[in-house]
Amino acid sequence: MKIIVCIDDKKGMLFNKRRQSRDRLLIENLEKHLAGREVYISPYSKALFEKSAINYKVVENPIEVGQGYAFIENTPLPNDAEEIVVYHWNRHYPADTYFTMDISAYNKTSSEEFVGSSHEKITKEVYVK
Amino acid sequence: MKKFLISALTLLLVLCFILTGCDFLEIPPIDTGSSTGTSTGTDTSTGSGQTTPPVLDDANLPEYEIEGIPSYSGEPYVALNDNQPQFTSQDLTTESYEFYSELDSLGRCQMVIACIGIDLMPTEDRGSISSVTPSGWVQAKYDIVSGKVLYNRCHLIGHQLTGENANKRNLITGTRYLNIDGMLPFENMIADYVKETENHVLFRVTPLFYGNNLVATGVQMEAYSIEDEGEGICFNVFAYNVQPGIAINYLTGESYLAGEVPTPDQSQTQTEIQTGTSGDGSLADDPELNEQTYILNTSSKKYHKPTCSGVTTMKEENKQEYTGTKEELESQGYEACGTCKP
Repeated sequence: MKIIVCIDDKKGMLFNKRRQSRDRLLIENLEKHLAGREVYISPYSKALFEKSAINYKVVENPIEVGQGYAFIENTPLPNDAEEIVVYHWNRHYPADTYFTMDISAYNKTSSEEFVGSSHEKITKEVYVK
Repeated sequence: MKKFLISALTLLLVLCFILTGCDFLEIPPIDTGSSTGTSTGTDTSTGSGQTTPPVLDDANLPEYEIEGIPSYSGEPYVALNDNQPQFTSQDLTTESYEFYSELDSLGRCQMVIACIGIDLMPTEDRGSISSVTPSGWVQAKYDIVSGKVLYNRCHLIGHQLTGENANKRNLITGTRYLNIDGMLPFENMIADYVKETENHVLFRVTPLFYGNNLVATGVQMEAYSIEDEGEGICFNVFAYNVQPGIAINYLTGESYLAGEVPTPDQSQTQTEIQTGTSGDGSLADDPELNEQTYILNTSSKKYHKPTCSGVTTMKEENKQEYTGTKEELESQGYEACGTCKP
């Protein structure tokens, strides 16, 4: 299982059951990362993907699939993952749901910054075990 | 539980819509709230927005109580009404506007509201706001406060949303903690949402003053994204005007290190003094303590001393002079130059 998350400066993910932010160019970046590979998403995430060329499949709980990529917003995080793709908004937003996985045991294999459509700087980091 | 009796204004947008021809959105009221429709006697005034302000009428000004605000317990904000804003369907419009109430008889800011669209958002960096002295502005300096100074001139509606600078109806005496941890995250979320979607967000901020206090106990912030019916933005929160480690006399604005609060005999008067954790630091009284002139590089987002060598090599189109505090600059995303260390 490989997971993809978007977090703010405090590792927040959601506030009041809503994503903290969104960015069209982040989805374009993710499309390149996936390179045609399938990603499992929740129904809530569908609006982010339906205008993209990403090969996505909607499921109630993406991590229950147990394989491939899972884009996680409002569904449970796994206890473990072989790869974690983290997009940092580099902003502080309100949050009541946080990214709680401990990534200290992972190796950061890549880091890149890019300008989003509505964010000055988005940082993408990839961690693998 | 304390009850906060809040005077607020009703926006009679119906008249606006009749005059302008814009339509109500076909959405149900989120919550009709507890408005009672009695006059507070508070004057109203239109804001300084770039678009046509709404037609307002102060004939039926409501009073409503905001109940259920718990005491500060370590978090900078708390959800109210299950995070549902208390707008009515009549409040919701896709027409951008901004409105700032007149100060009350004690010189305190009142409710402000804006329907934030991309057209209201600033196209220039923020100017100085140091000419405004909000009620309760008794500046003090503490080592335990990030940036040293206790108070910021807190925009009720942030500059990044409507481009307001030194508007006295939009600036309150707020702690650094309120500004950065309590309010800025919500402004960021709205700003980035509007930029990304070009939708509108209705945003109302109401400072809550207990009795005759000159410093607000906190601010209520309500927001709702119009075009997607709250799917993107929807919240109703109260952010606390506290500073951990510092006790504040909300009646006057004076402050003390927690644990060094004067006895009632030493204090001018007693009022709500709220404390957090203790800490070390020194107290100073200069109200314009950290205001200086800096040179900004609007491209690299660094700020410099005017004498910094980096200023001489800076491209003219990126150079901007700014007079204000470091905290103001850092809240706009600027970082200190590593060479001159301003």
